[in-house]
Amino acid sequence: MRRKMDASQQRNASVIIFDDVSLSFGRRALFKNISLNLRGGQVIGITGSNGAGKSTFLKLAGKIIRPDSGEVKLPVEKKIAAVSPEMKIYDGLTAEENLFFFTELRGKTLSAKNILELGGRVGLDLKAFGNVRSENFSTGMKQRLKFAILLSVDADIWLLDEPTANLDDDGREKFFNEIQAAKFDKIILLATNDKAEEKICDEIIRLPL
Amino acid sequence: MKLFGSRFEQVAAIVRKDFIIGLRRRASFATMMMFALTAVASLSLSTGGAFVEPKFFAALLWVVIFFAASAGISGTFDDEATAGTLQTLKLYAAAQAILFGKMIYVFLSLTALTIFILPIFLILFDVAVEKFFLLLATIFFGLIGIAAAGTLTAALTTSATVKGGLFPILLFPITLPIFLPAITLTEISFAGDAFEISSLVVIAAFDLILITASSILYDYL
Repeated sequence: MRRKMDASQQRNASVIIFDDVSLSFGRRALFKNISLNLRGGQVIGITGSNGAGKSTFLKLAGKIIRPDSGEVKLPVEKKIAAVSPEMKIYDGLTAEENLFFFTELRGKTLSAKNILELGGRVGLDLKAFGNVRSENFSTGMKQRLKFAILLSVDADIWLLDEPTANLDDDGREKFFNEIQAAKFDKIILLATNDKAEEKICDEIIRLPL
Repeated sequence: MKLFGSRFEQVAAIVRKDFIIGLRRRASFATMMMFALTAVASLSLSTGGAFVEPKFFAALLWVVIFFAASAGISGTFDDEATAGTLQTLKLYAAAQAILFGKMIYVFLSLTALTIFILPIFLILFDVAVEKFFLLLATIFFGLIGIAAAGTLTAALTTSATVKGGLFPILLFPITLPIFLPAITLTEISFAGDAFEISSLVVIAAFDLILITASSILYDYL
C-alpha cells in the first residue's frame, strides 16, 4: 500500500506554518512561541500525555481556534476535513443524508454507486444501513461514517484525532490503509496515544514542545 | 461566480438539513405553535364579546409572534452546539453560509407559524382585515427582521450560560424599531385607514441593516 513520493508530488506537497504561535487556557500556557512547518506528503503524528494539547494543536492547525498570538498559515485554497471525537455527525439524519449533506457543502454530488463504494472502503454496509438514522448506529459505526464523510469530501488536509478509537481490527486496518494511500498529496495530522496509530506516522511531534 | 454558486449551494443544503431534522424532531415547531395557540386561545376567551380597539389587536398579534418566535428560534445554534455538530458544520461550511442558511430556515419557520396562527387569530378575535395585502407585506417584512435579529441573537447567546433568559432580553431592543411601525401598519390594515408607504420602507430598511450587521458581526463570533 505504501507508495514512494515522486518529484512532482514532492513539489505539490503543501505546508502548514506555525509562526510564533502562543496559546493559553487561563494561566496555563499550552503553547509558547511555537514556530514549525508541517509538511504534506506524510503522516505527522501528534503525541503527548492527556492534557498536553494534542487536540488543541489540531484545532490550531485547522484554524478551528485562533492562537492568542502568532499566526497559523494554511496553504491557499486547501480544504480541511476531520475525524475527531468532538466533531459529531447529525443523529437526526440517516447515514446517506449525512454523506449527501457534507459533500454538498463542499460542492460535490454523490451517486448511489459512490455511496456503496465509500461504505465498502470504511467497512460500513450502506446498502443495509444507508437509510438508518445515525442515532441508531453504534459508536464504531458512527466513527466509520465520519471517516466515509472525510473520504467523500476529498479534502487536502486531514485532521485525525484518535481516529481508530472504538474500532475493531477490521476497521483499524481499513483506516490505516486509506491513510497510507492518501498521504502523498495531503497534509495528514494524527493526534494519538495509540501505539498502532503511531506506527503509521512518518514523523512524530511530541507535546509539550 | 463559482464562489457565489458554492455558497448558495451551502446555504440551500443547510436550510434543507434543518428542515429535515426540524420536521423529524418537531420540538421547536411544536413549541412555537403551542405557545401561539395557547396565547391566542386564552386571550380570546378572556376578551370575548368586549369591544377592543384595532391597535390592541395589532399589538397582540405581534406580541404573540415575538414570544412564539423567541421560544422556537433561541435554540437555532444552541441545539447544534449541544449535539456537538456545530463544530463540524463550521469546519465544512463557510461562516456566511451557516448564518444565511440558519436565517432563511428561521424566516421560513416563522412564516409557517404565521400561516398557522393568523387565521386562528382573525377568527377567534373576530377581526376583519380591510387591507389584506398591507397586512401580508407588513408581516413579510416584520418576519424578515425578526429572523435576522433572532438568528444573530441565537448565535450570540450560544456560549452564554443563561441562554433562556438572555435571548428575549437581547432580542427585544433589537427588534423594537421593527415592531413599532409593524404594529401601526397592522392596525391600519385592520381599520382600513389611509397609510404612507414610508412606514413599510422603514421596516424594509431596518431589515437590511439587521441583515448586514448580522453578516458583519457573525465572522467575529
